[in-house]
Amino acid sequence: MSDTTTAKAISPTDSSTWNKGWLRNLENPKFLQHLLLVPVLIFFIVWNIIPLFWLVGMSFYKYVLVTGEPLKFVGLHNFLEIFNSFEIWHALSNTFLFVILGAGTQTFLGIILGFIFWGSKDLPGRRIALTLIFTPMIMAPLATGSFFKIIYDPVFGILNYFIKGVFGVTIDFLGSAAWAFPAVLLVDTWMWTPFMMLMTLAALGSVPKAELEAAEVENLSWYQRLVHVVLPHGKFILMLGILLRTIDSFKSMDIIFTMTRGGPGNATELIGITLYRQAFNAFTMGQASALAIISLLIAISFTSIYLYVLKRKEAAA
Amino acid sequence: MASHQRKKGLKRYLYHLCLWAISFLFFSPIIWMIICSLKTKEEILTIPPRWLFIPTLDNYIGLFDMFNFPKELMNSIIMSLSAVVIAVVVSFLAAYSFSRFKPKGTDLIMFILLSMRMVPAAAVVVPIYLLYAASGWKGTYAGMILFYAMFSIPFSVWILKGFIDGVSERFDETALVNGGSRMHIIFRVVMPQVKPGLIAAFIFNIIFVWNEFLFNYIIGGKKTATVPVGLAQGFTVGGGIQWDFIATITAFYSVPLVIFIFFFQKYLLVGMTFGTVRGEV
Repeated sequence: MSDTTTAKAISPTDSSTWNKGWLRNLENPKFLQHLLLVPVLIFFIVWNIIPLFWLVGMSFYKYVLVTGEPLKFVGLHNFLEIFNSFEIWHALSNTFLFVILGAGTQTFLGIILGFIFWGSKDLPGRRIALTLIFTPMIMAPLATGSFFKIIYDPVFGILNYFIKGVFGVTIDFLGSAAWAFPAVLLVDTWMWTPFMMLMTLAALGSVPKAELEAAEVENLSWYQRLVHVVLPHGKFILMLGILLRTIDSFKSMDIIFTMTRGGPGNATELIGITLYRQAFNAFTMGQASALAIISLLIAISFTSIYLYVLKRKEAAA
Repeated sequence: MASHQRKKGLKRYLYHLCLWAISFLFFSPIIWMIICSLKTKEEILTIPPRWLFIPTLDNYIGLFDMFNFPKELMNSIIMSLSAVVIAVVVSFLAAYSFSRFKPKGTDLIMFILLSMRMVPAAAVVVPIYLLYAASGWKGTYAGMILFYAMFSIPFSVWILKGFIDGVSERFDETALVNGGSRMHIIFRVVMPQVKPGLIAAFIFNIIFVWNEFLFNYIIGGKKTATVPVGLAQGFTVGGGIQWDFIATITAFYSVPLVIFIFFFQKYLLVGMTFGTVRGEV
């Protein structure tokens, strides 16, 4: 190192000396580790930190975007209003129901499907079959929502054609307060059951073959195998799957927005849609910011749980 | 013995049949959509549905005559590619630093990055909207692309850090001892070994931006509208809902994704779990 420095020092005519000197800093780990982070930190500060402060600040103000009224400091009023708002509690309970029923059904069906597909390595055309199953979850939610509107349509929807054939009635799925919620839930389940199946397959794949063979030799019942062989290895992956599904359905928005816009009435109103409405229909930015902060806190707690499970998984592996 | 084997073969056959039936059950709404896209407008609205019809590609050809569609498709392609390339490069450098040097605050930043993706989209977009409206970035390509890049970074950093952690530090040390520069190590030694991570980050970010609707709807403009935004706005052109248009765009727009899933199936797990779960399905 010092050799090259002296070599440079004695040949000042070299025009790239400065450049080389600067570049040499790249070999200094202290410098390099921060240099590599600069681009991410720029993104982080401009798009996360600054907006976050803005959001926190805004949540203490009354600010309606379109009226041109000046900002008015209201302290914690926005938060109090959220806690006293029937509309928001309704949206929260809807969201809660959506998460429990949706993620629950998907987990249940996904685990069953995962077990069914466990021994499918020799299925002819397995890759195509799995592509067919996994397609729903990577389709654009907006596209999915749009064509389910065709399928659910009371007049020329294919689903109502079958229902009319069997029961003799027509159901306006997305237009009736009683049916809209289950109809939306069904689409969500169709989209995300494959995800839980994927996680189940991963969990099953993490069970060492030797232990399965040992269980075979010892002639354990399927229940014993499940509890003593499969679950100890697979449970963390499964838990991560359930958590991801919980978080995702907590924030789901696009697909419901497309199909019902939270309606009819407020039958399918989830917290994400309320937030959208407050910010971009009513333009009450102050209150929307307060609600955004609350959902941010919920998200942070979900993330903590996720990382806790992840740590446990890595410790167990 | 022979009959026993035949019985076993039959069981296997039925099992496979059952698996294929499940696969088709999940795919059936999409099949229906493809069928709709091959029908004329009148045939789509006929009840009972006409099972036998002469398929026509007129709807697909018609898409490109539509005023907005070609532009929106171009926007989708440009935005997903450019945002994701920026995000993956930036994230790779950061992930290397996080993985190898573990600078102070690594855990905190990783935590905040992951939280970003757990927040409802509408909550993310409120402050960004205020920022963009104030700075004049709203509705510009640069604003949209950089926003999408930002939104792809958390996921990419998580995935790539996981993969770089999996490359033994011995490689770095050996290269250093042999006189390799740090840049040489990052791009020639480590990068080739995390190719699967790069592919997964690339594919899943593209899928995300390709499918994204809400952000573009709110902080984008007419100029930057992608296909999902156009789809949301084109529901009721001229009074009636245009089912033929919806079915055709949806089918057409999903083709690249289905191809991705077919060819990159082994990355699906990593991609859906921020790189936290790995393995084959």
